[in-house]
Amino acid sequence: MTDTRRFFDDIQVGEEYESPGRTVTEADIVLFAGLSGDYNILHTDAEFMKQSIFGERIAHGLLGLAIQAGLFTRATQAYATLAFVGLRWKFKGPIKIGDTIRLRAKVTAKKETAKPDRGLVTVERTVVNQRGEVVQEGETDLIVERRHT
Amino acid sequence: MSVAAPRFYFEDVVLHGVLETPAMTVTEAHVALYGGVTGDGAREHGLVPDLLPLCLTTGLGWRVPQPPLAVLAFMGVEWVADAPMRVGDTIHSRSETTLKRSMKEGGVIIEQRQVINQRGEVVQHGKFTFLVAKRPA
Repeated sequence: MTDTRRFFDDIQVGEEYESPGRTVTEADIVLFAGLSGDYNILHTDAEFMKQSIFGERIAHGLLGLAIQAGLFTRATQAYATLAFVGLRWKFKGPIKIGDTIRLRAKVTAKKETAKPDRGLVTVERTVVNQRGEVVQEGETDLIVERRHT
Repeated sequence: MSVAAPRFYFEDVVLHGVLETPAMTVTEAHVALYGGVTGDGAREHGLVPDLLPLCLTTGLGWRVPQPPLAVLAFMGVEWVADAPMRVGDTIHSRSETTLKRSMKEGGVIIEQRQVINQRGEVVQHGKFTFLVAKRPA
């Protein structure tokens, strides 16, 4: 079977991807609160949040981050990732129940590493809602395998 | 008589205060639930998805003898994966407030946080930035 993963050699700086949209529901937020144990009232108390600047419950910031990671796998063929190195991330605005978010990603850097069989790929990522507003943005660094020669 | 649930406000946060949480064992059930909600998965069977420890650390932060932080907004996170984590590993987190800056509305708090496994190894670490409410007058 052919390996369809994209290797370090295949990935080009400047490549851009856009994911399908995903509507974030109340169920997503309830499940994420249950999974993470983060029951902050921002995400779980509808009555309290009516009085807040948001006017309603909002999704956990990390739920948005995790959903974009899922959307990335639907935006491009899988990378031959060996390791996740880290990320730098900003939460710019709320994701509310019923909002539809999508990921726009762009490869901004490729670097050699000490090991010749792999390289570092930096991807700039923007999460936008149905109105085109940026709700989250940041960069992720991944170690990606080189094609075997 | 009703008493409002306690919250931990900007004024309550102690600069360089350290919080250590209880531990939790990360199971296949966590990986499956995480995968179902987010559509994100592990790179290989037996590993925990890269962002799952980061997500679990926020809930671990609730299991300390201190009321929940009155977060107005989660502003950002910088995060580093130091070592892979496997299903069955038991993690806890340790955090230290390294910056406290008063603003007009609330104040900014920076927390350095580590996720530590059962062998005492740091598996992930980084920095959380929050906007926290001030105590209502």
